[in-house]
Amino acid sequence: MTISTLTFQTNALAEMEALQSALTQTQTQLSTGSKLPNAAANPAATEQVNQLNMALAASQQYVSNGTAATSNLQLAQSALTSATNTLQSARDLAVEANNSALSLSDRQDLATQLQQLQQALLGAANSTDPAGNYLFAGTASGTQPFAQTGASVSYQGDGQVNQVQIGPDQSISAGDSGDAVFMNIPAGNGTFTTAATGANTGSGSIDTGSVTNAAAWVPDTYTIAFTSPTQYQVTNSGGTVVASGAYSSGSAIAFDGVQVTVSGAPASGDQFTVAPAGKASVFSTLSNLITTLNSSSLSSGQLTTRIGTAIQQIDNALTGFGYVQASVGGRLNAITTAANGAQTTQTQLQGTISTLSSTDYAAAATQLSTEELALQAAQQSYASIAKLSLFNYLG
Amino acid sequence: MADILSTGVSGLLAFQQALDVTSNNIANAATPGYSVENINLTPQPGQSTAGGFLGSGVAVQGISRAYSELLAQQVRSSQSSYSSYNTLATQAGQIDNMLSSSNTGLTASLQSFVNALQTLSTSPSSTAARQALLSQGQALAQQINSYNSQIQTYGSDLEQQIGADIGQVNSVAGSIARLNTQIASDLASGQTPNQLMDQRDQLIDQLSQYVSVTTSTQSDGSMNVYIGNGQSLVTGGVAQQLAAIPNQYNPTVSDVGVTSAGGTTDVTAEISGGELGGLIASRSQVLDPAQNALGLVSVGLATIMNQQQASGMDLTGAQGQPMFAVGAVQTDPSSTNAGGATLTVTRTNLSALTADDYQLSYQGGSWQLKDATSGQSVALSGAGTVASPFQAAGLSIVVGGGAPANGDSYLIQPTEQAPAGLALLLTSPSQIAAASLAQTAASAGNTGSGTISSATITAPASWVPGSYTLTFTSPTAYQVTNGGGTVVASGAYSAGQPISFAGAQVSVNGAPAAGDTFSITSSTAANSGDNSNVLAMIGALTANTLAGGTTSLTSAANNLVTQVGVTTQQAQANASAQQSVNQDASTARSNLSGVNLDAEAAKMLQFQQAYQAMAQVIQASGTMFTSLINAIRYG
Repeated sequence: MTISTLTFQTNALAEMEALQSALTQTQTQLSTGSKLPNAAANPAATEQVNQLNMALAASQQYVSNGTAATSNLQLAQSALTSATNTLQSARDLAVEANNSALSLSDRQDLATQLQQLQQALLGAANSTDPAGNYLFAGTASGTQPFAQTGASVSYQGDGQVNQVQIGPDQSISAGDSGDAVFMNIPAGNGTFTTAATGANTGSGSIDTGSVTNAAAWVPDTYTIAFTSPTQYQVTNSGGTVVASGAYSSGSAIAFDGVQVTVSGAPASGDQFTVAPAGKASVFSTLSNLITTLNSSSLSSGQLTTRIGTAIQQIDNALTGFGYVQASVGGRLNAITTAANGAQTTQTQLQGTISTLSSTDYAAAATQLSTEELALQAAQQSYASIAKLSLFNYLG
Repeated sequence: MADILSTGVSGLLAFQQALDVTSNNIANAATPGYSVENINLTPQPGQSTAGGFLGSGVAVQGISRAYSELLAQQVRSSQSSYSSYNTLATQAGQIDNMLSSSNTGLTASLQSFVNALQTLSTSPSSTAARQALLSQGQALAQQINSYNSQIQTYGSDLEQQIGADIGQVNSVAGSIARLNTQIASDLASGQTPNQLMDQRDQLIDQLSQYVSVTTSTQSDGSMNVYIGNGQSLVTGGVAQQLAAIPNQYNPTVSDVGVTSAGGTTDVTAEISGGELGGLIASRSQVLDPAQNALGLVSVGLATIMNQQQASGMDLTGAQGQPMFAVGAVQTDPSSTNAGGATLTVTRTNLSALTADDYQLSYQGGSWQLKDATSGQSVALSGAGTVASPFQAAGLSIVVGGGAPANGDSYLIQPTEQAPAGLALLLTSPSQIAAASLAQTAASAGNTGSGTISSATITAPASWVPGSYTLTFTSPTAYQVTNGGGTVVASGAYSAGQPISFAGAQVSVNGAPAAGDTFSITSSTAANSGDNSNVLAMIGALTANTLAGGTTSLTSAANNLVTQVGVTTQQAQANASAQQSVNQDASTARSNLSGVNLDAEAAKMLQFQQAYQAMAQVIQASGTMFTSLINAIRYG
């Protein structure tokens, strides 16, 4: 076969150019550290790298969402701790006040202290984050949630709580609505409230009672009336007598699945009421207690009954605070767990991205030397073959 | 003796010519397209003598060139395939490089936008977070604008290149026609003009870079040249003129036409292969689809964000305003339309919208829609009137204006103009509608454990602001009443299932008790700390909202990058394969037609020696003559 001299030259040149271009590509891989200079280099890998990069950015964002939520939840946590401490002190004062030996002025001293505590509690409930957003206002975070008008405190926020995404399929509440924490606290023992009627003349007091059989409880307003100092009867709102018996101080009076205890010496005609429990705000509980302690007209039975109810409701609030604190703690843990999980995910993602897009230096270096060798061989062989010509030997 | 002399002279002349041919071959050893020439020697007829026929020397019968039409055709077809793929690879590579960067690419920008929304969700009333979202939105819109204008720049460069290539084809075709005339007249006079034929072959080679070429040799030696799928370009001494003619729908796009006495015929569909074929393929396979796909992402972004903005309340307490403007549907009538119908086309359904172009034509008294990208016909529902527009492919088409003529057609490009028009409309951070239009709350007196979700406004147009109460009439049944006490929705309770009314949607979890109530009330400026609409925006951006609910916005963007990458990679691979086919074909042709210097050296030596031998013969003839004269003089 005859080889055209021109073609031999151009083909040899083309081969060397191709080798040089391959060398340049390998060198670029080595110098940039990337084997995906554009999508055409490996479209499938590029698509995957883009997806993984998005997942990585999203994961980093979830962690920073978690960090933002953490700061607010920690602030809420410390506000709740301070509210709990304040309320605990109030409870101590209430227990101290529940002593018939105290004089009116002793009780008024306690009431003054309670007023201070109520202000402190209000302060905790109106806590803000560094940006001035109220922590317990729900989504109305720019509005002071607890406003005091005279003795009563009303809630100005709303009942909705923002969710924050801390993982691909994980969201947490970024806060708690003040409505649920401070306002909607079960009154009485949670099922019913008890009260001594204002016209009572005896010294009888009623405790907060308890539920013995929830299934038998019929929510209704019941009246425990003393027909004589030793006889009582319980009627429901329809006037039906549901229980009656002989009174003995400190013994339980049971009816419709609940029981209450009347102590002291009720007079004939004295009445006590048992009504289904609604909600009581922690502020109204304290306000009522302060009013009770400041009052000079209440009988000892009424005092005892009211202070007992207040202590029960303070306990309810403390229990509620405890739940919220546990829930906030749980959410803080969830954020930490999610962040740790995200760390692992991110390491894996980065590893995969690197495998797909980063230069394998060992392989690239080997390839470079192979290509170098090939180019050298091409150049050397070309130089030596190109010299060969019959014309060298003519003449 | 006279015979020896004449035989010797014939040989001397023949070998001199042979040496001329060889030296010409050596001189053209480096000339591309040169076909090696061979001298054809033949013995001269013998003279009849008593001793038999006596030869009378050598004659030069002709000079022929080593040439194979088959090998030439192989070189040309691989050359035009290579040029075509290489052009496609270059054009697609430009877009690929533009879109590829994984750190600054479209998917990264979309993710940054989603991340800005996420940050906003952690502090919905923060002006800084709102400003950051606006900046990201602005950056995203500008990036898409810049991609689009880059694609358009490539497009207008491509149009110019088509014009330039057509000029080249015309010039080469003219030269081929002139050579045809010359060659035919030379051949008629009995001589083969090898050099002119080499020149013509080389011009046809050159032509094959621009467009695929086939040839047929005529009896007079002229060569007819056909381009693409059989369009005649050169017939004997006549060359057709190609021209860049404006596309019937879009005058800024060039089609290829052939000019003849009867007018210009559009032959774009006939053009294939070569740079010209590659450019036309790049336009339809890379540039237009890339711009349309970018448009679909733009439309998706704008539609989703604007819809969610309308479902939300901004920092001032007002309903959210649209966040992005986006270019409208582009509708172009054909320049050949005879009727007066005009189209009003709007996008109505994001999920059904595609990145394809459509052709609406009026045929035999009815309107027909065809997917211009795939060629499939598309069913139209509706009557095309304002009351009942045509509905297809996520579009609503209203035909107005005058009466259409049979054969009228319109090109509808649903997303082509979208990326150019993408712009951030919001100017103030307070305009971001982070809060839902409605707030929910559980009543304080509820005795059950039911909790209510935040309210989502799914149909802002049907939302009637006001106060709604969701009441559980039993633990398993609910009803929703509006402020006037009218029941607007009721049903059986199922935990976590959406409860829809008046354009809004909520869900309840847990076990509500009979008589429990939840309120759903219009938001006021005080609720600006709500992030539920931001969460809805994030949800909608990452949900599968495109392509019939199978593709999310980010996957559509990623698909665009991948598609361009695949097209580029395939074009590069094909170009590289065709290059090596072309190299093989060229080598095969050169091995036949090219000059081998060693062979020429050997021939030179051979002819030189023969020439010297002939000279010796002449000298012998002289010696013989002298011997004879001397014999006579002394005899």
